[in-house]
Amino acid sequence: MKKVVYWSSEEVSSWLAEEGMPEYSDSFQRLNGKDLLRLTEADFKKPPLSLVCSDNGQQLLNKIKTLNIEHHIEAHKNGHANGHLIKGKNGDSSSSKAKRNGMPNGFRNEMVQIHMPMPEKSHFPMEWGKTALAFIYALFCFVFTTVMISVVHERVPPKEETPPLPDKFFDIFDRVEWAFSICEINGMILVALWLIQWTLLKYKSIIGRRFFFIVGTLYLYRCITMYITTLPVPGVHFQCSPKLLGDWEAQMRRVIKMIAGGGLSITGSHTMCGDYLYSGHTVILTLTYLFIKEYSPRRFWWYHWICWFLSVVGIFCILLAHDHYTVDVVVAYYITTRLFWWYHTMANQQILKEATNTNFFSQVWWYSAFQYLEQNVSGTVPRNYQLPFPWRATPFSRNVKYTRLDT
Amino acid sequence: MEQHASDLSNEFKRSSPSGNDEGSQSQPKQSTLPNGLRKSSRKHRDYIKISVPEPKNRLPLEWWKTGIAFVYALFNLVLTTVMITVVHERVPAKETSPPLPDKFFDYVGRVEWAFSISEINGMILVGLWCCQWLFLRYKSIAARRFFFIMGTLYLYRCMTMYVTTLPVPGMHMKCAPKKDEHYIQLRMLRSERYSAKTAEEKKEISQVKQLHGDSQAKLQRILKLISGGGLSITGSHILCGDFLYSGHTVMLTLTYLFIKEYSPSRFWWYHLLCWLLSAVGVVCILLGHEHYTVDVVIAYYITTRLFWWYHTMANIQTLRSSPQNYLTRSWWNPVFWFFEKNVQTRVPCSFSWPISWPPSCFKSSCKNYSMVQNARRQ
Repeated sequence: MKKVVYWSSEEVSSWLAEEGMPEYSDSFQRLNGKDLLRLTEADFKKPPLSLVCSDNGQQLLNKIKTLNIEHHIEAHKNGHANGHLIKGKNGDSSSSKAKRNGMPNGFRNEMVQIHMPMPEKSHFPMEWGKTALAFIYALFCFVFTTVMISVVHERVPPKEETPPLPDKFFDIFDRVEWAFSICEINGMILVALWLIQWTLLKYKSIIGRRFFFIVGTLYLYRCITMYITTLPVPGVHFQCSPKLLGDWEAQMRRVIKMIAGGGLSITGSHTMCGDYLYSGHTVILTLTYLFIKEYSPRRFWWYHWICWFLSVVGIFCILLAHDHYTVDVVVAYYITTRLFWWYHTMANQQILKEATNTNFFSQVWWYSAFQYLEQNVSGTVPRNYQLPFPWRATPFSRNVKYTRLDT
Repeated sequence: MEQHASDLSNEFKRSSPSGNDEGSQSQPKQSTLPNGLRKSSRKHRDYIKISVPEPKNRLPLEWWKTGIAFVYALFNLVLTTVMITVVHERVPAKETSPPLPDKFFDYVGRVEWAFSISEINGMILVGLWCCQWLFLRYKSIAARRFFFIMGTLYLYRCMTMYVTTLPVPGMHMKCAPKKDEHYIQLRMLRSERYSAKTAEEKKEISQVKQLHGDSQAKLQRILKLISGGGLSITGSHILCGDFLYSGHTVMLTLTYLFIKEYSPSRFWWYHLLCWLLSAVGVVCILLGHEHYTVDVVIAYYITTRLFWWYHTMANIQTLRSSPQNYLTRSWWNPVFWFFEKNVQTRVPCSFSWPISWPPSCFKSSCKNYSMVQNARRQ
């Protein structure tokens, strides 16, 4: 495109029409490019130009200025070296001062850094350190529970002195001997399913952290309720190992045996009595079901149903076997579900992560621990899955690397 | 063209383009000029009503919902009382089932007058809460919440009491005799019908005969329990078996939570006082060996969690519509929605006189000045 200076009047009028100012075309019929550039404000104050538009030609002058700048930039595409002066020859009404770098006001020649926002931090940072902490907490609570069971065992009143307490379920249903094994098998299946599901999750560390924290807190509560009041054995079928009054070594050995067996009767480590309020088996059955359901796709409804069924049958079998009182199971269910829902609601809502006076959730004693664990997790953890190990690492896949894009 | 009805104002078509129009349209155009702008001397019968949305009341009172909550709470109280009576029959006798080992009882011996302190504290707290409630502006909303939460807590208590019966926590507890003991006594007395009786024996016979029927005896006990509020002080706490979990703790904790929530935060001395009353009351329950420690702990836990859960859901509006709100999985969520769906914001801590003063019958009616005032009042 030619410089404006060299425009003819036809080009001027076609430019005017382009810019949407046809009203000037009549008055500018004999103007060429040079004259266009020489227009000043004063010209617009006299007729005939003052009659065309009421803004004293400001709009037109601005457009001419822009036009000039465009041309100037075109002509000097490679940037200015310092020292190029405009002496106001073109009659630009814009640049009255001489500038060193030759550009009209508002233009610099150096590169302007446009601040691009950094790629956002991941919403779900892995932070395995926090998961490890939660794991240690859960482990500590398990060990503490076992020690507590051992302590409480010493205080359980013997069956002969204190008969089992009256329980509505026990009145209705008699004891079924093999029921407790079913419960424990169900529990083991559920734990195994949850473990497999957990390894397939993408955000393992966050979810693992939550599981450990909740399980640890539930067992901690259980320690407290077991310790303060000791319920008698729920049935005369119980075989409680004899009390070791004050014999610390033997107690330690018992504790280790219980931990090794996971506290299950099947493995033969459930020999101590007194841990009735509330039921740990119910906690595990309920909690694994809640976690399985929460972190698996919605469309696997059959999977959810199977797990629910396993859970319910397991709980029912605890009672059928007369291994826990009904109130133990009910309280365990209540505390587990409430804690799970409470924690996950807090974790998923940003407003609940701040302690305001409308947020009563912040009144729980574990709120600061929760904030520490969940402060960098923004939003709901999506249910994404991935194989725990890269597929290519297995010797079975035969991938050929083609280009650099492949890495 | 001049005589358009007002409802045709938007369908005014231009019949012919005028010569001065630059952008002459050949098709008819919807005119946006309402007829009211026309310079005409016609009567203004075609005002267009612009409906301004009424400012919705964000805290409607809805006393009928409070009534429903009250009925719910009453029902649960009566159910609890009936349940206590039922459970009483199943409590194992003190001799056969000694009190369970309890850590607190091991360390602290029984103090006799402690339970009265706990009950007095409870009565003071309930009295304070009632007074405070009278002065709240949004009485109905606060009362609705109180009745609902209390009712639900007592409902849970029914369940835990019923499924498993704990033995009495101490040998000092005086439980009213059970029905089979009544039968034994009655039969013994009837067999000695013809023998001479002293005045005392006659009195005993008549007392036992009063309670001869099962249902009649039970009903009498229920009424006595309700009328005394279940307190030992009033002599209505004669039934045993309602140990897990402790209703006294529930009342002490719940009234304190409500008092604290619905009073200004600058009354810190008031909050501290109520907290002390509550804490001392709870400790005195244990000192009096009237409940096991686990009863008190579980009661505290359930009360606080339910209160915080309910109020957080009620106060934070974004929580209600959020899909990630697991709190909606509780069984009482539909009831919560029913009570709280029109409450749009946190209930502000504002107070007003319970009775408007001066009462309206005393207001003079001579002050109607003009039609404007009437209209404004309407």
